[in-house]
Amino acid sequence: MDLFAQLLVNGLGNGSRYALLGLGFGLIFGTTRIVHFAYGPIYAVAAYAAWLAASAAGLPLAISAAIGVAGAALAGAAVYGLAYRPFEARGMSSHSVLILSLALSIVLDSLLTLAFTPSVQTIPEFTAPIFILGPVYVTALQLGQIAAVVAVAAILTLFLRRTRYGQAILALGDNRDMARIVGIDTDRISLVVFAIGSAVSAIAAVFTLLNEGATPTMGFNPVFIAFVVAVVGGLGSIPGAIAGGYLVGLVESLGLWKIPTEWQNSIAFVLLFLVMLVRPQGLFSGLKR
Amino acid sequence: MDLVLHIGVMICLYAILATSFNLLIGFSGLFAFGHATFYAVGAYATALLTLRLGWPFPLPLIASIVLTGAIGLAIALPSLRVSGIYLIITTLALQVIAIDVMLNWTGLTGGASGISGVPPLTILGHAFGGPARFLPIAALAAALCFAVAYHVGNSPFGRALRAMRENESAAASVGKNIFYLKVGVFGLSAALASVAGSLFAHYLSYVGADSFQVSETVLILSMVVVGGTGNLLGSVLGAAILVLLPAGLAFIDLPQGMAGQLRLLIYGLVLILFLVFRPEGLLREPKRGGKKAPHRNMPDGAPPAMGAIVPLAAREGSALSAVGLNKRFGGIVAISSLDVDLASGRITGLVGPNGAGKTTAFNLLTGFLVADGGEIRFRGKLLTRLRPHELVRAGIARSFQDLRLFTRMSVLENVLVALPRQSGDRLSALFLRPFAVRREDAANTARAMAILAFIGLGDRAMDLAEDLSYAEEKLLVVARLIATDAEVLLLDEPLSGLDGAAMQKIIDLLRQLAARNRAICIIEHNLEAIRNACDHLVYLDEGKALAEGEPGALMRDPELMRRYFK
Amino acid sequence: MTTNTLPLQHAVTDGAPPAPAKAPSRRSVASMLALAPAMAFAGRAYAAEPPKDPPVFRIGALLGLTDKGNWNALVMQRAIQMAVEEINAAGGVEGIKVEAAIEDHQGVPRVGVDAMQRLRARYDIQAVLLSYSAVGLAVAPIGEEHKIFMLDGGSVTDALVGPFKYLYHNRSVASVVARAVLTVPKQMGFKKMAQMAAVTDDGQSLIRAAEADWKAYGGEITATEQAMSNASNIDTQMAKLRNTNADFLAVWQFSPGPGLVMKRAREFGMKQPIIGVEYTADIGKVAGPHSEGYIFASDYFNPNASDPWPQRFAAEYRKRFNDNPEVYAANYYEGIHVICEAIKRSRAQGGDYFTGERIRAALLANPKVPSVYGGDMTFKPDGTGLKRVGIFKVTNGEAKFQNFAEIN
Repeated sequence: MDLFAQLLVNGLGNGSRYALLGLGFGLIFGTTRIVHFAYGPIYAVAAYAAWLAASAAGLPLAISAAIGVAGAALAGAAVYGLAYRPFEARGMSSHSVLILSLALSIVLDSLLTLAFTPSVQTIPEFTAPIFILGPVYVTALQLGQIAAVVAVAAILTLFLRRTRYGQAILALGDNRDMARIVGIDTDRISLVVFAIGSAVSAIAAVFTLLNEGATPTMGFNPVFIAFVVAVVGGLGSIPGAIAGGYLVGLVESLGLWKIPTEWQNSIAFVLLFLVMLVRPQGLFSGLKR
Repeated sequence: MDLVLHIGVMICLYAILATSFNLLIGFSGLFAFGHATFYAVGAYATALLTLRLGWPFPLPLIASIVLTGAIGLAIALPSLRVSGIYLIITTLALQVIAIDVMLNWTGLTGGASGISGVPPLTILGHAFGGPARFLPIAALAAALCFAVAYHVGNSPFGRALRAMRENESAAASVGKNIFYLKVGVFGLSAALASVAGSLFAHYLSYVGADSFQVSETVLILSMVVVGGTGNLLGSVLGAAILVLLPAGLAFIDLPQGMAGQLRLLIYGLVLILFLVFRPEGLLREPKRGGKKAPHRNMPDGAPPAMGAIVPLAAREGSALSAVGLNKRFGGIVAISSLDVDLASGRITGLVGPNGAGKTTAFNLLTGFLVADGGEIRFRGKLLTRLRPHELVRAGIARSFQDLRLFTRMSVLENVLVALPRQSGDRLSALFLRPFAVRREDAANTARAMAILAFIGLGDRAMDLAEDLSYAEEKLLVVARLIATDAEVLLLDEPLSGLDGAAMQKIIDLLRQLAARNRAICIIEHNLEAIRNACDHLVYLDEGKALAEGEPGALMRDPELMRRYFK
Repeated sequence: MTTNTLPLQHAVTDGAPPAPAKAPSRRSVASMLALAPAMAFAGRAYAAEPPKDPPVFRIGALLGLTDKGNWNALVMQRAIQMAVEEINAAGGVEGIKVEAAIEDHQGVPRVGVDAMQRLRARYDIQAVLLSYSAVGLAVAPIGEEHKIFMLDGGSVTDALVGPFKYLYHNRSVASVVARAVLTVPKQMGFKKMAQMAAVTDDGQSLIRAAEADWKAYGGEITATEQAMSNASNIDTQMAKLRNTNADFLAVWQFSPGPGLVMKRAREFGMKQPIIGVEYTADIGKVAGPHSEGYIFASDYFNPNASDPWPQRFAAEYRKRFNDNPEVYAANYYEGIHVICEAIKRSRAQGGDYFTGERIRAALLANPKVPSVYGGDMTFKPDGTGLKRVGIFKVTNGEAKFQNFAEIN
C-alpha cells in the first residue's frame, strides 16, 4: 500500500511533465499539421537558456525559468519562420516536411553540443525541498509540475477562448482553408502557435533541468513522449493532452510495479496501441472551444 | 580498397532497405515509421538460425524472409484502421517495442549483448567473408530485390497501390481490395527488408539492438525522400548518396575535438539543402502505363474502338433492387424505408433537396455504408453486407460527387486500374505467371485506350489526371466507371458544374451506356438536365422516397416542386 | 574466463616506481613461461633485421563522439590528444612522432565498422583504441582478421573478453569491479542487496557478475530494477527498490546514470549506503549533495600518491581542461602510452615492427607495462589488464581513496 501511494504520487509528478509536453506538441500539430520532431532540441534550448541565466548570469531561479521559456518561444518561432514556413509555402509533401524536421533536429542537436559540450549542466545551488506525508515522499518539483499544468491549462484555455489570437488558432486547427478564406493570417498564427507550444514544453524542460540537469540530447525521448501523449489524448485537445499526460504517467508508474522495469520504454507505446484500438481519434478530439 | 568495397556493400544493403520502404511510403502512401524493425527481424533470425541451429545457406535467408514477411502482415493491421500521423505513431510504437524485445528477451536475442560471432555467408563450401568477397553477393541480392520491387511496382498490383495512395475509397470503388493491398505490400516490403537484415548479420557478424534504432528508420526514410518517393531508382540513388555523404565528410579534416559534431552538422545541413532544391526528391515519379499502349495519343473522333463498352445482354426486370433501407446516424434518421429499383437500359434520376439523403443512399447501395435494415439484391442475389470492392466485382459501381480521381497517375492509368478481373492484382500471379500477367496487361492497356478514345480523352492518355480541365475530369470519371464493366452505374452529380456542351456530351455518353443495357442512376440538381437525361425519377426527401415516376409528371407536381425549391 | 586468483597484493605497496619493474611477478613469470615458444619464435624471426621505421606512428581511436548515450567520448578524446602531445613534446617514440586518428562511431555498430574500414584504408592502421561494447563486438572481428592491435579502456562487458586475440582491455572488467565493490557490504555484514542496472551490455555483465558473487557469499538479492542508460524517469524503479528494505543499493550504471539514482534514492528517503562502479564529474553534478557517502570501486587512480606519473598526469589534465581526470581520461591516456610502450619494445626486435601482430607479440613477451594509475599493469593471457582496484568514498563531492579491494 505504501508503495502504491508512492507510485501514484510519482505518476502524477511525471504525468504533469508529460502533460506539458503533450500540450505543446498537440497545439503545434493540431493547428499546423506539422509533425515537429525538432520539438526535442528546442526543449533542450529552453533548458540551456535557463541554465545560462541561472549559472552564468547568476539570476534568480524564477527569472531564469522565464528566460528559458522565452528562449524556447523564440527558437520555436524561428524554426517555423525560417524553416517550415518557406517549405510549406512551396507546397511540400508531408514526407518532406517530416524529413525536414528530422534534419533540423540533427542540426540543432549538433549546434547545442558544440556550444555546451555533451557534458551535463546543472544548477548546483538548487535543491528541491522534500515533504514527507507518512510513507510518501514528495519533492517540491513534483508539486511544482502539477501546479504548472493547472496554470498552463487555465491560461491556455482562457487565451484560446477569449482572445482574437486564440479564436484564430482554433479556427486554423478546425479548417485551414476556411480560416484563410475568412481572412486569418495563417502564417502569423502558425508562428504564434509555434512560440506558445515551445514555451509550454519549456516549462517541462526547466523542471528537467532542476531535476537531473541539461544535456544537448535531453529532448530526444521527450519528443516521443509528447507525440504519444498528444495522440492518446486526442490531437489538439487541451483536456485530452492533460488526460493523456496523466494517463501515460500513471500507467508507466503503476504498470512497472508488476512489469519488470527494463520494459519501461514500451509501456507508453503499448498504452498508445490499446487506445488506438479502442478510440483511434484519441480520448478527446479536436481543439476544444 | 576494402573501404571502397565496404561502402559498396553498405550501398547495396541500404538500396534494398530504401526500395522496399519506398513500396510502402511512395507507392502505397502508407507512412509507416518502423522499417528498421523488419531489418532487425531478418538479421536476428539469420544470426540465430545460423549460429544456434547451424542451418546452411539458404535456409536461414528463406526463414528470415518468411518470418519477417509474416510479421509485416501483422504490422499491416494498424494501417487498416488508422492513417496519416496515427499510422506514423503506431508503427513507431511497434519499433520501440521491438527494440525493447531485442534488449530484454535475453534468452533469445542475447539481450543488450546481442549476438556476436555470426559466421560468414557460406554457399556450397565457399565462405564470403570480408568486403571483397561479400560485395558481389550483396550486389546480386540488391539487384534481385530491386527487380522484385520494380516488377511489383510496375505491375497492376503496383498500380492499384498507387491508386490506393491517391484515394482509398476511390480505389475500393473500382474493385480494389484495400485489405489485400495493404497486407500484401506490408508483407512484401518486410520480406525484402529482411534480405538486407540477413546479409547484414553475416557481413557484420554481430547483431545487436544498437543497429536497429529509430535513427536507422530515419536514415532509410531520408534515402527514400532524397531519392524521390514513388521512384525506385531514386531510392537506390538516395541510398548511395546518404551512404557516401558521411563517408566523404569523414575525409574532410576538421578541428579535433569537434570534428564529429561538425560532420553531423554538415550532414544535417546537406539534407536540408537537398530538400530545399529538390523538395520532391532527385528523381520524379515516372509516368507509367504508356509504353505498352498500342495507340498512344489516339486522336479524338476516331471511330469508337471495338470493345470500349462490353455489351451486355438485355435482361428483363430490375438489375438492382433495394427494399426498406434504413440508416441512422446517432439520433438522425438519414434514410428510412427507402425502396430503389434500377432497371437496365434506363437512366434513373435521384433528386431531392440538399440533405435529402441522396449520397447516403448511394453509399448504402455500394457498400460504403452498411444499412441498419433492409435488403439489397442484384439480379435477385442478396448483396447486403458485401464490401465496396466486392459489389463492384458483382456489377455495381459508383462515382463520387468530389470525383476522387487518382490525380498523380496518368489518365490512362486511371482507366486501366479500374478494369475488372486483373490477375496482376494478385501478388501470387505476378510471380508465378509473370508472362501471362504481362500479356493480359497489354490487352488491358489497349482496352483502356479504347475507352478513352470512346469518351474523347484519347489524346490526354499520358497526361496526369491532375492536369485535366474540370470537364475532362468529369469525363474521366465516366471512363473509369465504364472500365469496371459493371452493369449498374451510380453517378453522383456527373453533370454539376458543366457548361451546356460538356453536359450534353456526358448525357450522350450515359444514353449510349443505357443503350448497351446498363442500369444507370444519377444524382442531379439541374431540372433541365434531369428532364433531358432521365427516363425515370425518384424523389427523395428527408430520407424517404416521396414520389417516383416519369420526370415530366413529377416535375409538374406543385407540391414536390415547392419542397424542392424551399 | 573467471579471475579468481587476482594477484592484487603485489600492488598494495603503494608508491612503486612507474618504470617497468625489474622483477616480474609470479603471475607474469607464469604467463611468460606459457608463451615461451611464441617468444622464442619472435626472437628468431626479427632479431637479425634492422628496424623498418614508419614516418609516423598512427594510432586509431573509435569513439562515440556523436552518440546520444555516450557522454564520455569527449573525455576520452581529450586524454588521447594530451597523451599524443606529451609524447611528441618529449621527442616521440624513439624519435618518431605519434599521431592519433580519431573516428566517430555514433554508438552504432555499422558506423563503427565504417570507421574501422576508413582507418585501415587511410592509414593502414595497426593499433586502435576501442570504446562502447556493441561497437567493439562489430569491429573486433575486422581487427582480428587483419591483425590490428585493439585496446578497449571503456567497456566492462565480459562479452568482449575471450573471443578476440588482438583485443586487449585496460579497464577492469565487470567480474573484477563488481566483486571489488561488493567487498564493502560484505565487510559491513550486509545480507540484502537491491540492484539498479542499465539496460546495456555493460550493465548486464555487472548484474551477472554481482549476482554470482553475492549468492556465493550467501547474500540475498531483494530487487533488481533496470532502466535505459538515458532514462530520465526512474521514479518507479527507485520506489520499488526502497520498498524492499535492502541493506544497501548497488548501482550498475554508468555516467551520468548513478547521479540520478543517488539523487532520487535520497529524495525518496532511502538512507542505505549506495555502491557503484563509477564516479565522474557528470555523476557528481547530477547527484549534487546526494553523492555524499557513495562508495565505488574503480581502477585505482590516486593523483596524490607518491608515484610521479599519476601526479604529473593529474596536474597536467587539470591545467589543460580545468577538470579532474576520471577513469575514462586515465584509461585512454594510458591506452596511447601502452601502445607506444609496446611499439618501443617491438622496435627493439627489429624488422617490420610496427604491425598489430608485432605489437601484440611484444605484449605477449612481456605483459607488464607501466600504468598511469601508478605501478604496473599486467595483461593476462585473455587480454585483460590487471590493475589495482581501489575502493573510494565520496565526501563533499570528492572521491577519497579508502583501500585496495582484496578479492580472492
